Amino acid sequence: MAKGSVLVVDDEAPIRDILSFYLKRAGYQVLTAANGMEALEEMGRSRPDLIISDLRMPEMTGDELCKRVKSEPSTRDIYFIILSAMDGTASRIGGLSLGADDMIPKPFHAQEVLAKVDSSFRLIEMQKEIKRQNRELTSFQQKVQEEMALAAALQMGLLPKLPGETRGAKYTHRYLPAAGIGGDIYAIIPLADGSTAMMIADVSGHGVTAALISAMVKTSFENQARLGGEPLGWAQGMNQDLCRSTLVEQFATAWLGRLDPTSEKLRYVVAGHCAPLRIVGGARGGLQRSEVLRGKGFMLGLDPQLPFRENEAEFLPGDRLVLYTDGLVEVEREDRTMLEEAGLRRICAELPGDIEAAADAVIAQTRSHNQPAPFLDDVTLVILDRDS
Amino acid sequence: MLNIQTRQEGAASVVSIQGKVNFEVTAQLRDVIRETVATVQPKLLVINLEGVSFIDSSGLGLLVAARNSVDKSGGKLHLSCLPAPVKKTFDQTNLTNYFSIFATEQDALRGA
Repeated sequence: MAKGSVLVVDDEAPIRDILSFYLKRAGYQVLTAANGMEALEEMGRSRPDLIISDLRMPEMTGDELCKRVKSEPSTRDIYFIILSAMDGTASRIGGLSLGADDMIPKPFHAQEVLAKVDSSFRLIEMQKEIKRQNRELTSFQQKVQEEMALAAALQMGLLPKLPGETRGAKYTHRYLPAAGIGGDIYAIIPLADGSTAMMIADVSGHGVTAALISAMVKTSFENQARLGGEPLGWAQGMNQDLCRSTLVEQFATAWLGRLDPTSEKLRYVVAGHCAPLRIVGGARGGLQRSEVLRGKGFMLGLDPQLPFRENEAEFLPGDRLVLYTDGLVEVEREDRTMLEEAGLRRICAELPGDIEAAADAVIAQTRSHNQPAPFLDDVTLVILDRDS
Repeated sequence: MLNIQTRQEGAASVVSIQGKVNFEVTAQLRDVIRETVATVQPKLLVINLEGVSFIDSSGLGLLVAARNSVDKSGGKLHLSCLPAPVKKTFDQTNLTNYFSIFATEQDALRGA
């Protein structure tokens, strides 16, 4: 098999013959041309890997040929060696500045040319290999990006559809995953008994793994809540589910709640999650007082034996519930402080009554507090307004 | 950047951590803990968190995993010197009740 093809361009037939002889004997496929014009014609028929060209030739000189080859995108990568009778540094630099890859001074030894062609082909092979790997990497990266985009779209599909409505309440969310795809998830589902089950969770870690587990958390929550009962039982069931199906370092913090439209109380479990805020009369907007719905409990998926505790809080018509994940309030600013719960309460002290405007205001104000630091973790904010 | 130092105190291994424990550095810390547990099989592993300014959920996960692996090899894990922000994270997640936590490294070493 031929090692590669070389186009020899020289107006002196003996030089063409000698070079052809040596190159063919070494296994190269050889094309020849007597000047630049012929060379271009030859290249129209078959594309060589390498060109060895004399400088001074009639019709078209070697430097003109070199310029044309190197300025044309489809031939730019052809390795170009100039044969030059003008010895000396100046002409070498002149040749290389035309874009030639190498020079051989005349008179030359055929062996010298052959050695140079061999070493050039090693470079050409290397270049080809790098290009091939580059293409592979680019296409791999493209594929990963496409899959991530698809996964992100799928994850968005796991979130409740907006505008959200359930018996006796309406809700909205702002979901900002850190890496296109994230470990935050929430769900609000109406139950057969007329009440509403709510859940927000933050899976440890980031990216695809966290996203996969977040989907499991959601499924587990829906299964538990549909069995009926109270948040305590859901938390215990979800904990068992997650302990069975995740690795030891993976767990989720969560808040689970049950809203009964006929009751003035909200029952909930805090499983290692940021405690939500109840804004008293918040659905009416204006200056409001907030309460933190505190509770103590381990995160889900840590240990199947761990206990949870159910809490109860007042939640009246016209009240607003603010659920969030820690990414919202735990951005370290340049002065090393963070917004934290206290800061979020300050922001929530005066919000618009309109639920969408309120959600926008919370995100805008936390962002402006964090500045110049951006959100680094997944951020989820859910606002639920109980009908007046 | 996380600075991790390990040393032996009799039958106990002490791992001291300085810096922010988050997603980017958990691999580094995981290797150190895994190697300590595998090679020394300490009766007591003390993790001194005095120099830790922040710990995120992946860091907490790592500590939980550390407790599990020490338990399995028949040892105990004690945490010591939790700075206020770390203590807060532990309180919020109720992990204060999951780990044996000591005020000083000496207490942690004695409290076997």
